[in-house]
Amino acid sequence: MSIQTLDISPVGRVEGDLDVRVEIEDGYVVNAWTHAELFRGFEVILRGKDSQAGLIVTPRICGICGGSHLTCASWALDTAWETEVPRNAILARNLGQLVETIQSIPRYFYGLFAIDLTNKKYQHSRYYNEAVRRFAAFSGKHYEIGVTISAKPVEIYALLGGQWPHSSYMVPGGVTCAPTLTDITRAWSILEYFRSNWLEPIWLGCSLERYEEIQTYDDFMVWLDENRAHRQSDLGFYWRMGLDIGLDKFGGGVGKYVSWGYLPHEDKYQKPTIEGRNAAVIFKSGVYDSYSDTHTLMDHSFVRENTAHAWYDEGTADIHPLDRTTKPILKNNKDFNKAYSWSTAVRHVDYGRLEAGPLARQLIAGGKHGESWQHYDGFILDVFKRMGGPSVHLRQLARVHELVKLYRQVERCLRELKLNEPWYIKPKQKDGRGWGATEAARGSLCHWVELVDGKIRNYQVIAPTTWNVGPRDAQQKRGPIEEALIGTPITDPTDPIEVGHVARSFDSCLVCTVHAHDAKTGQELARFRTA
Amino acid sequence: MRLYKLRHPSFALYPKQLRLMTNIIWLQGGACSGNTMSFLNAEEPTVCDLVTDFGIKILWHPSLGLELGDNLQSLLWDCILGKIPLDIFVFEGTVVNAPNGTGEWNRFAHRPMKNWVSDLAKVAKFVVAVGDCASWGGIPAMAPNPTESQGLQFLKRQKGGFLGADYRSQAGVPVINIPGCPAHPDWITQILVAIATGRLDDITLDEFHRPQTFFKTFTQTGCTRNIHFAYKATTAEFGQRKGCLFYDLGCRGPMTHSSCNRILWNRVSSKTRAGMPCLGCTEPEFPFHDLKPGTVFKTQTVMGVPKEIPPGMKKKEYALLTVVAKDAAPDWADEEFFTV
Repeated sequence: MSIQTLDISPVGRVEGDLDVRVEIEDGYVVNAWTHAELFRGFEVILRGKDSQAGLIVTPRICGICGGSHLTCASWALDTAWETEVPRNAILARNLGQLVETIQSIPRYFYGLFAIDLTNKKYQHSRYYNEAVRRFAAFSGKHYEIGVTISAKPVEIYALLGGQWPHSSYMVPGGVTCAPTLTDITRAWSILEYFRSNWLEPIWLGCSLERYEEIQTYDDFMVWLDENRAHRQSDLGFYWRMGLDIGLDKFGGGVGKYVSWGYLPHEDKYQKPTIEGRNAAVIFKSGVYDSYSDTHTLMDHSFVRENTAHAWYDEGTADIHPLDRTTKPILKNNKDFNKAYSWSTAVRHVDYGRLEAGPLARQLIAGGKHGESWQHYDGFILDVFKRMGGPSVHLRQLARVHELVKLYRQVERCLRELKLNEPWYIKPKQKDGRGWGATEAARGSLCHWVELVDGKIRNYQVIAPTTWNVGPRDAQQKRGPIEEALIGTPITDPTDPIEVGHVARSFDSCLVCTVHAHDAKTGQELARFRTA
Repeated sequence: MRLYKLRHPSFALYPKQLRLMTNIIWLQGGACSGNTMSFLNAEEPTVCDLVTDFGIKILWHPSLGLELGDNLQSLLWDCILGKIPLDIFVFEGTVVNAPNGTGEWNRFAHRPMKNWVSDLAKVAKFVVAVGDCASWGGIPAMAPNPTESQGLQFLKRQKGGFLGADYRSQAGVPVINIPGCPAHPDWITQILVAIATGRLDDITLDEFHRPQTFFKTFTQTGCTRNIHFAYKATTAEFGQRKGCLFYDLGCRGPMTHSSCNRILWNRVSSKTRAGMPCLGCTEPEFPFHDLKPGTVFKTQTVMGVPKEIPPGMKKKEYALLTVVAKDAAPDWADEEFFTV
């Protein structure tokens, strides 16, 4: 059987445009290349600008997780300027991060992922007709509710920052807002609306409290069998249909995972430092190696970027992001033996290629590493082990499993805000190096900033999709999505929907990835200069 | 100021009952997807309502479309070859020309995106630019503009852009710009509905091709801090419950054309209401001063007087007004006002 090569341009519904080449043999993918085809050069734009320019520019790297970029940009400045951040401000930042991620879950599930369940490929599944009724684009009963309800959580973001997307309300030293009783009451009310109109009746088919009893794979099976409401909820329905159509059979990946952890505790990070972050975040950082079943803490010093197969002329050695020299190749010809993507390959100095995202976060949440007070949840790790590893299906479960936990964190933030205490402590501007990190809905995000003479000397971003969508590295190791595509069955090469399943299961966000890398100095571009 | 009246023959030629669906293709160039995300927040009407109630058919959208790969390419070619009528071509993001005018740094469906833009703009009845990037370049076009980005018909304030100053769509109108970073969902949905229902004749575009209905007023119009603006009472630093953000924190509300405080964001607020200075993101110069050191969240002043004052005011009269306003200001204007 000969090998058939398929170039798919674009794989849509991944936020930004992703191209994939796969080689198919006997109906299965045997090799894969992912390439990011858009370059915007944000880090070049930031060079020489005001120290605080990242607060305005970086949320616009990505309209989907702009709040996550803002979180990184502000904490990076806080660590560089050695500010004091009042507890209200930490809570208000966390609140923004949380509601942005909650927004993303139904928007991603219905808008980007579940539409594929209505593909004609699945018409022989006994779940097909119901899937069409629920998930068909625009007209599906739950598609419409899910996409519309996804606008609700970010109304809370707008109460703090004035709008979502693209506010810059997080600033070094705190936040720009000082909410009043009205804002807090409305936030509670919005949250309740989200719970009582979608989260409980449509998504879970049960109360939050009942769902929270699920701690293991067996608990989940008990929940599923318990009654019709659970089975017929979108979660129960998706779980059963996904198994029926075999989404648990492919989409594995590199088997090693990363998370920066997130949500600094309001009493533990008022004097933010790079070194102190790991011990201050509620959801702990980590690396999970599923081959050795071990958990370790993650640190920014472990990150390396490799441009051997990316359109940059920066050698083949692994370098720390702050040491990058920023030389893009002018002629970005696609050569799968050489360079084929604007994304770099991100590596851990010891563990190599790592997958970022909700699955990574939840596998790391199941580790006993970190501080004793930090969040622990062994559910997804247990399911991972019981199902024999990762798949498209497990990635979905991990993603939506976070909903209830994040909802509880929002409640906690709202309860903890003390309206008459400070929201901002005016800092002194300083030079230095800073680093800020968070977990965007789709995975680990961080910013490095280097400030000299009140200006940005170097700004570097590693986005979740940079981890996931990166090309091969100098050791010819595939990136996580490339690896996850291996073994994927392709039923119909004229409609390779399975490639879409795998790519979308990472909730890739190409707009971040390719904008997060350096370009040239701009000298010969004078005719387009706008200054 | 030159204004465009959107008179065009298309609806005379096609009686409404024959125009059952309005076909839309939405593509993204040098974009962050922020306008798409904003669009998905729309509530009255929602994105689903556009389809079910207003006869808008979204043939393809990067985040919503069903087709991938070859199937999408066929769809685009069918539009370009006239097999499928393209009523509205919506573009989000900049047109990337790098490197050296080739556009290869932004390839889409096996071609530079700019080639798709050029082909689709020739056949579309209407072209709508959503957001600053598509309107005039936005952040990617900020110096040194490493991607050689342009807006569809402007580069910053300069007319022309990618399609050229003389470009007119099949319906005979220039690119309709809905700027903002991002554009407000209601600005987008209302223009799409206006086109779909034949109401576009009622609206007027300003010299930057912005619908005046949203962009004649100022961001300040409707701001809850207007009284503090009048008394020259400042918000000296962030996190306070008083004052106007214009005097110290760099707010551009009085100089920026938008309806942010008339049509609230996410139905609940606006940046200036929430204490965040307006960045002027519906204007071609955004981000202002190219974010040079000392310009972020800081009012540019000469001897304590703002360098930029509300449009139409004379410096001398503004200074006079300042003296009078400060004298007349009651004590409460400097006290905590928006209290818990």
